[in-house]
Amino acid sequence: MSAMEDLVYFLRKNPLVMASGSFLLVLLLSVIFAPLLVNYTPIELDITEKLAPPSRDHLLGTDYFGRDVLSRILYGGRFTLAIGIGVVSAAFLVGVVFGTIAGYFGGIVDTIIMRFVDALLSFPALVLAIALAAALGPSLTNAMLAVAITLSPQFARVARSQALSITVKPYVEAAVCVGVSTRGILFHYVLRNGIGPLLVHASLSLGSAILQTASLGFLGLGAQPPLPEWGADVSLNLQFIRESPWVTLAPGVAILLTVLSFNLIGDALVDWFNPRQRKED
Amino acid sequence: MLKYFLRRLVMLGPVLFLVLVIIFSLARIIPGDPAASLLGPGATNEQIEALRAQLHLDENVVKQFLSYAGGLFVGDMGSSMKTGRPVFDEILSRLPATLELSIVATLMALVIGIPSGVYSAIRANSSFDHVNRTLSLVGVSAPAFLLALILQLIFGIYLGWLPVSGRLSPYLIAEPITGFIILDGIISGNFDVAWSAFLHVLLPASVLAAFLGATVGRFVRTSMLEVLGEDYIRTARAKGLSERLVIFVHALRNSLLPAITIVGLKFAEMLGGAILTETVFAWPGIGRFMFEAIKNRDYPVIQGNTLVFALLFMLTSLIVDLLYGYLDPRIRKRMSR
Repeated sequence: MSAMEDLVYFLRKNPLVMASGSFLLVLLLSVIFAPLLVNYTPIELDITEKLAPPSRDHLLGTDYFGRDVLSRILYGGRFTLAIGIGVVSAAFLVGVVFGTIAGYFGGIVDTIIMRFVDALLSFPALVLAIALAAALGPSLTNAMLAVAITLSPQFARVARSQALSITVKPYVEAAVCVGVSTRGILFHYVLRNGIGPLLVHASLSLGSAILQTASLGFLGLGAQPPLPEWGADVSLNLQFIRESPWVTLAPGVAILLTVLSFNLIGDALVDWFNPRQRKED
Repeated sequence: MLKYFLRRLVMLGPVLFLVLVIIFSLARIIPGDPAASLLGPGATNEQIEALRAQLHLDENVVKQFLSYAGGLFVGDMGSSMKTGRPVFDEILSRLPATLELSIVATLMALVIGIPSGVYSAIRANSSFDHVNRTLSLVGVSAPAFLLALILQLIFGIYLGWLPVSGRLSPYLIAEPITGFIILDGIISGNFDVAWSAFLHVLLPASVLAAFLGATVGRFVRTSMLEVLGEDYIRTARAKGLSERLVIFVHALRNSLLPAITIVGLKFAEMLGGAILTETVFAWPGIGRFMFEAIKNRDYPVIQGNTLVFALLFMLTSLIVDLLYGYLDPRIRKRMSR
């Protein structure tokens, strides 16, 4: 089991990755079992208890509507994790399809696709996401779509460079000679052999996917109330920051910890797959 | 050099064209009648008609695009649905605030990022290096609005050291000369204004600098490590140069060159973060303008702002490319060929 040994070695070399992984695992379990952990639902109102400070009843206090902040964070975490995976999968799919086609076929196809990628990359990511989300209309799905579109050009770039280097390999030439269909070559040869760097990039993108979608939520372009989404919850309670900072800071810190965990793992994976960096450790 | 500059400009052409196409299409990917859905359910028929006319929705698409793109060349970005004023003028009057904020932030980021990156590389895998790398990941991972709120709470509300909103104390008046209030204050000899503006910029700039500084630090560390492994560094050490000379003369210059590229690229990304930061700090720049436009569903303003952000991005990467060529003799030679 060399893969298993590799993983154990990797974790031992990177204690922070171990910590991040554990945090994400705990988060995953607690959002799944949220109903067992908290006694309130995220949309249960209790006006008499509004903006209550943290107590045994409400570990993270309550917001302006008397909703339990901890339960909003746990239920909101379901969205956050789904957002991360959903956005990155969509960006991966779109980017890899176009990038692989560009790299494999080359010529005019390549030029057209890559100029378009360049144009998409000429926008600051958040700005493009805002413009898209505002056009599509504010909703969580549209915000995710907008962020996926802004993240896909980077996947296209990685996929293209992978396709470029794999297309010239003798085994691809051999496959063409024995008459494998173009689709077969793209899927079974080009994509399968180039998947490593793409997966590393995907793990790096999880953090930004969550961060961007939360930022759209904060600006009012993502999840709409009463959906418990972390970014939207921060802006919802903004005006109470003086008296009840926990209501605003708790969901914000949840975003930070989750994004940081994903980034720590992604960062370590990049180092791991970069032989030069690995030697030096 | 000139030839390279011109070639670089020509290369920008197609990308700029596609950028315009994208921004133009944004208002047309809206499902249903774009004008009606942009204005939301509360809109009157006249408002819908006005927006349709403004977006030229009744003509054919190519003609629409041509009149949109043609208008841009004379500074016509349409007018705000909310105020009726030309979007171009509104953006122009807010641009200095955003530039002032981002320039201060960039300076802060360089002052923090470069030394910490260099020291991290010299002492690679030391405890300083580990702490620094982790902190810089925190800098990249923190939502700008969270950092902004935490700084506001600590320095503005609990300690009361720094102002938490606006560009200037309400009882001071700045004479607009350049639009950069700190600079204006110094030029006109009104140092109270300059000082107040400086205090106001510190917190929002720190938020942006945290992101940029973290990115720069990480990049400088990597490129410094790479340079320190080069043969000419070994040669320099072998001929007995002091470690300080090796690092500051031989290694630093070569490792800072690639860092310029990353500063340029991330500068524009930081501008995106300015939307969040300006919103929290009530900073009257184009970021906050964008936020207000989102709230008011003022699509012409969103479009105009998006274009300006994209242009700023393209401009910085152009400048960075030229600067890079200018600073690196190897590229300078290749360019003049």
